[in-house]
Amino acid sequence: MKKPPARPTALFVTCALLLIACSQTNTPQTSTTVSAGTSPSPATSSEGSAAGNSSAIPVGVGVAQTSNVALLGQEQVAGAKIAQKYFNDKGGVDGTPIRLVFQDTGGDEQGTINAFNTLINQDKVVGIVGPTLSQQAFSADPIADRAKVPVIAPSNTAKGIPQIGDYVARVSAPVAVVAPNAVKAALKQNPNIKKVAVFFAQNDAFSKSETETFQTTVKDMGLELATVQKFLTTDTDFQSQATNAINVNPDLIIISGLAADGGNLIKQLRELGYKGAIIGGNGLNTSNVFPVCKALCDGVLIAQAYSPEYENEVNKAFREAYRAQFKKEPPQFSAQAFTGVQVFVESLKALNAQSKVSEKPLAELRTNLNQQLLRGKYDTPLGEISFTHEGEINQKEFYVARIKMEADGNNGKFEFLK
Amino acid sequence: MDLTLFLQQFLNGLSIGSVYAIFALGYTLVFSILGIINFAHGAVFTLGAYFTYALMGGAFGFNGLWANARIPVQLPFAVALILGSVMAGLVGVIVERVAFLPLRRRHSDTLLTVVSSLGVAVAIANIIQYLVGAEIYTFPANTYGYLPAAINFGTADKPIPIRTVQIVIFAVSVAIVTVLTYLINFTKFGKAMQAVAEDATTSSLLGIDTETYIVLTFFVSSFLAGLAGSLVGSSVSIAGPYFGIAFGLKGLAVIVLGGLGSIPGAVLGGFIIGLVEAFVPGDFSAYKDAVAFAILFIMLLVRPQGLFGRRLIQKV
Repeated sequence: MKKPPARPTALFVTCALLLIACSQTNTPQTSTTVSAGTSPSPATSSEGSAAGNSSAIPVGVGVAQTSNVALLGQEQVAGAKIAQKYFNDKGGVDGTPIRLVFQDTGGDEQGTINAFNTLINQDKVVGIVGPTLSQQAFSADPIADRAKVPVIAPSNTAKGIPQIGDYVARVSAPVAVVAPNAVKAALKQNPNIKKVAVFFAQNDAFSKSETETFQTTVKDMGLELATVQKFLTTDTDFQSQATNAINVNPDLIIISGLAADGGNLIKQLRELGYKGAIIGGNGLNTSNVFPVCKALCDGVLIAQAYSPEYENEVNKAFREAYRAQFKKEPPQFSAQAFTGVQVFVESLKALNAQSKVSEKPLAELRTNLNQQLLRGKYDTPLGEISFTHEGEINQKEFYVARIKMEADGNNGKFEFLK
Repeated sequence: MDLTLFLQQFLNGLSIGSVYAIFALGYTLVFSILGIINFAHGAVFTLGAYFTYALMGGAFGFNGLWANARIPVQLPFAVALILGSVMAGLVGVIVERVAFLPLRRRHSDTLLTVVSSLGVAVAIANIIQYLVGAEIYTFPANTYGYLPAAINFGTADKPIPIRTVQIVIFAVSVAIVTVLTYLINFTKFGKAMQAVAEDATTSSLLGIDTETYIVLTFFVSSFLAGLAGSLVGSSVSIAGPYFGIAFGLKGLAVIVLGGLGSIPGAVLGGFIIGLVEAFVPGDFSAYKDAVAFAILFIMLLVRPQGLFGRRLIQKV
């Protein structure tokens, strides 16, 4: 057989390293579930000023529709589309419909920058809902901020997102607020928990941020942090880490990762004999985790910023529309994207009540819209929300859910704990 | 590390190493014939998993062109595995005809071929997403019949559990290596393949249809990729269209370590990388890939031809 010439070998290794660089998984900054309905239609540019020369007000949606983050982006597209239909059916902005303009960010920072630039300069949107990942937000949001285009982050929960700039707000509660609830719930279920093992995805900024919160919570509650095991979101085999963790006999395992890796980790922990409590972080807050660990998902606790069962008119409508289309409960990612669109629509309506938004120059409208959205209060699928002057979300309703799988292991649901 | 933990991690290493080995075999076959790395191998690995899942009656999700589609058959896993792997093999043949043949005819630089196969890999991943979305698909719970989830290789006091699916993958990889070794060393097909690998022009003059053997090599290589993808998918689910990328990168480290173009090298390289990864301490467990590629670099510095590669002799 042929032998490798040295030069091609070096070349292949270089290619491999380039590929590694390209394939680093950025991860979602919240939780989610599967799917949007259909692939979003390609963006079409709107001419001239925002609502000025076109019959509909263009609102940008810049989320990941391709790459390994697409699973999350698809859910956001679904939520945004349901919002578009819901609010346009209700008359849009005093008779003027909104038009969502979708741009795919892919899973990386450069793609997000390109998408944001297109939305701002070519599509001339009044504001942007996006991006999917916190890493992407740190790269692309400053561009929108400099262009004075309001951005509503639907799923960026890392520390420092609202502080990126005056034009950046988020409807995704920071992980530091949400995560500790799950540990409290686990202790409520089993007060004898003493030893804790923590797993987190090392290559994901959000998971690292989340695990810090979890680890601090564990220590603050007087529990022993017995071992910290790291993995990558691209990993599929966790047997060595699972073995290391099981070896210290933990009473509780906390996982900060995503659906595929986190689900596999749960599966492998259970198959290797771990019987204690498991808490999943925000990245596992998705029905996508069900098919991965199937019956073995049962009992996993997950803190949530959204409950499909929340009782208000808009959530009922959203939940019904989502269930009609996808035959399952809406995930948090979709609800947050819906909320992002809702904030823009209601802010536009409030502005329109003062003076016609269709007559405002685009730059002025964007600035006014940003000021207005920070002033408003909104009754959304997430409950009542408002914003701080920095753009941080004020949210009252948080939940802890326990995964309940059916006996055959094929279907499951999040049971919200009282 | 006590003996129980050592044994446990050793078996863990063997099980993941067998996945790397089976994946790298396909890489190494194509390299041995054409002297190039087929970066689309990881994408074919992914496709094989989807094919097998579909043939078992698996339904697709709510995204993509084939939302909610389901093939009206429900084949047993073993049958679906073979058929799915054959389909992956046929995709490999198409990849060869589309991405490699035109460049070979023009005697293009190796780099262009690498880029071409990378392009095919990205295209395949995106086509998958367009058709069936980015959802995670899981094989049915009864894929392996009524086998237990894990088998204890230790005692009741000191259990050493290994997941059954990993044992199956290990057994299949050993069987594949045995069959492939026989095929290449003791059959007419294998000897012709070796001849084409040694010198395609001379082989052609001696009456060997080199193009046919290149196509057959791609078929076998992609068949193995599809088989590996299906087995891994049955173990850890199909984690979306980019499922095979990580394996593709790890496969590179394996074949460079074992020796480009060497079948025993691919197998041994797979097991070495798997075992080294298994013994990476917990605090550094996220750096398993870095360890694998560090081994690759050291090997390139110390023994560029790999463990089983032959030193290149240049005529002067």
